[in-house]
Amino acid sequence: MSSRFSGALQLTDLDDFITPSQECIKPVKIEKSKSKTGAKIKIGEDGYFDLSSGREQKLQKVEITLADCLACSGCITSAESVLVTKQSQEELLRVLSERKYTDSKGVTRDVSLVVVSISPQPLLSLALRYKLTAQEATRKVSGYFKKLGADLVLDMTLAEDFSLLEAQQEFLERYRNQQNDPSGKFLPMLASSCPGWVCYAEKTHGSFILPYISSTKSPQQIQGSLVKQHLAGRRELQPSALYHVTLMPCYDKKLEASREDFYSEIYNCQDVDCVITAIELEQMLSGEDKSLADIMDGELDWPWDESDVKGVKGHIGSGSGGYSDAVFLHAADQLFGATDPPMEYKNLRNPDFREASLEKDSQEVLKFAIANGFRNIQNLVQKLKRGKSPYHYVEVMACPSGCLNGGAQNRPYQGESTRELVGQLYTMYRELPQNEDENPTVSRLYNEWLSGKHSDKARAMLHTQYHALEKSDVALNIKW
Amino acid sequence: MAKLELLQSINAHKGIVWNVSWHPNGNIFASCGEDKVINLWSKENQGWAVKTMLVDGHQRTIREVAWSPCGNFLASASFDGTTAIWDKKSGQFECNATLEGHENEVKSVAWSPSGQLLATCGRDKSVWVWEVAGDDEYVCEAVLNAHNQDVKKVVWHPSLEVLASASYDNTVKIYKEDQLDSDWNCVATLESHETTVWSLTFDKTGERLATCSADNTVKIWKEYKPNNELGVSVSKESSWKCICTLSGYHTRTIYDIAWCHHSGLIATASGDDIIRIFKEAEDSDQDAPTFDLICKKYDAHSQDVNCVKWNPTANNELVSCSDDGQIKIWKFLDE
Repeated sequence: MSSRFSGALQLTDLDDFITPSQECIKPVKIEKSKSKTGAKIKIGEDGYFDLSSGREQKLQKVEITLADCLACSGCITSAESVLVTKQSQEELLRVLSERKYTDSKGVTRDVSLVVVSISPQPLLSLALRYKLTAQEATRKVSGYFKKLGADLVLDMTLAEDFSLLEAQQEFLERYRNQQNDPSGKFLPMLASSCPGWVCYAEKTHGSFILPYISSTKSPQQIQGSLVKQHLAGRRELQPSALYHVTLMPCYDKKLEASREDFYSEIYNCQDVDCVITAIELEQMLSGEDKSLADIMDGELDWPWDESDVKGVKGHIGSGSGGYSDAVFLHAADQLFGATDPPMEYKNLRNPDFREASLEKDSQEVLKFAIANGFRNIQNLVQKLKRGKSPYHYVEVMACPSGCLNGGAQNRPYQGESTRELVGQLYTMYRELPQNEDENPTVSRLYNEWLSGKHSDKARAMLHTQYHALEKSDVALNIKW
Repeated sequence: MAKLELLQSINAHKGIVWNVSWHPNGNIFASCGEDKVINLWSKENQGWAVKTMLVDGHQRTIREVAWSPCGNFLASASFDGTTAIWDKKSGQFECNATLEGHENEVKSVAWSPSGQLLATCGRDKSVWVWEVAGDDEYVCEAVLNAHNQDVKKVVWHPSLEVLASASYDNTVKIYKEDQLDSDWNCVATLESHETTVWSLTFDKTGERLATCSADNTVKIWKEYKPNNELGVSVSKESSWKCICTLSGYHTRTIYDIAWCHHSGLIATASGDDIIRIFKEAEDSDQDAPTFDLICKKYDAHSQDVNCVKWNPTANNELVSCSDDGQIKIWKFLDE
């Protein structure tokens, strides 16, 4: 089976001769009692047995968790098999029927509330596949998850708004810091919402590139904080009693959800427990021999306050969430007093590398770019390494055409091109309703939940950090 | 009787000599090896001698060198994960660009026939296409993850922008650019070898491809377009079909293969230290060709023969290199 991760992730340290699962270099600690001579091990049908003590003692199977894989500089593909067991449709169905789940530390917990959060891109992918409007698809997907046992189904507009606002704010800070300290590594600011890109940067370019990556969390992880940290409190529940599922456009999001950075030591839980993608939802439906159109409608929920602004929304700009446009327009206004300047992207060598700039007094004062796909990530990284990057901000996504073409979006039918499919999805994305002004719930939550913008709590809930992974020179890693 | 006459034997590098590449004018060739050195050889009065040594370009073994079609650039692929581009704009050869991006060992590098594109491949299972963007700038055009194991070799079609790669996953893949979204795709997978495919070579038309493998066979493949006379079913725009397998000739892994674009002869380099020359039979059927082994040079080298290359100027000269540290220049004589 070919890997389902984005190209960026497929390209990490792999082997000529051994398949990834056999080459795991994660050292395993074996508890050993002193023995006279070598161990004697018997292979039984139900496991391995140590016979050295005179009686059969069952040996523990070594379990490599996804967190182990992510913290290791070795292969990435073995993470895939680990993922399959933790974040699969089967696992989701099991948790929903048993109302119990086993967390990333191996502890089994009761579930008192199942929350499903829906992002726009997979919803559009499903709408297109089943020939529904975005609004119809929203109701069908809500109905489907509720039928399976979800208690709340939420859109992620709130988290997307938080992510854009924090990115806008972060950009202003970085811009000013760069003005004060031109030798600092503040700009270009690189978008951080794509976990394929972040994981590749951590494993391959480490401390060189990480300072440029925006510390703002992705919408998925902000939604995770909202659900586990805020909603659990409102409902007077232990966060670990909430099981949080997200519907996402790519498999790489499963890796993101599993990061240690998104595990709360205080509450003993991940912010997102299970990521399901458009392809998997389609498989679940076809497993039941059903079309999404046959599913009974359900409603989205809005558990945040009394206002009712629920709904899957679009944002101006790219179909990946519109980071470049949002940050550009805010910066143009705040830094140069330019309100609603034209944002005209021009393609560079291919349509997946585009740039736009703001001119003031015929001087180029801001230069932004959108770089999608692994080849353009390469070209961007090389520009940075040679000191030839002219950019203040780059929206970076690992998939060609960005998140609408995420690795786990429904694939084109035979004879249909990816380009046409993404074009249709983009049109649908543009037709989604948008929030006119700042979402009032966002302002309320900044005050009531986060004790204001720029507070320590806002920083803790809405920002994260990255970790360079040193390549290890373990003997097993040497290749000929 | 056909024979390979040894013109010259050179102690060329310290340790393994991995690869040699003829300059398009046929008067110079480059060699590289384990010693991280690139040697440029030219013909003096009495024979081939080192003219230039390029050192300090790479930190690990240099696995392959390739002259650009114009002869002004030399590319070198190294186990240090980089590909260096050398030129002598300044009067002497210098490395003026480095292609970075592969996770680890780069195994092969090749220039497209126009010289506008470069392909590289390596242990990270990927094949990369780079475009020459001028001023020592090279832009990544595509990263192709079609193989699921180490990719050993990349070669370009002799006249079109069609790329082929050979891999440890036992397959050969063919790639083309989709003009509409300017992205590269794998358009064909050639499956028949039982183990690693080490190298491959197009004939002068580009319609046929010869591959060599650790399964000790050479296979000849032909491209069939839709509605071909033979009635071979074609998916997408074309299909590649194995039309001939040369088995029983080699006793060990075949590391390299070279199809002469002038004589039509096929030379192979093998782990059994032998260089073999195959010739297509006069009455060979285009859809089921016959190749005869017409020359077998025993002990061509004292260890594995890693590479064979025909001189591009049709003089029947062949250059080979080996684990034994030597380069040998041969003349093929068909008497």
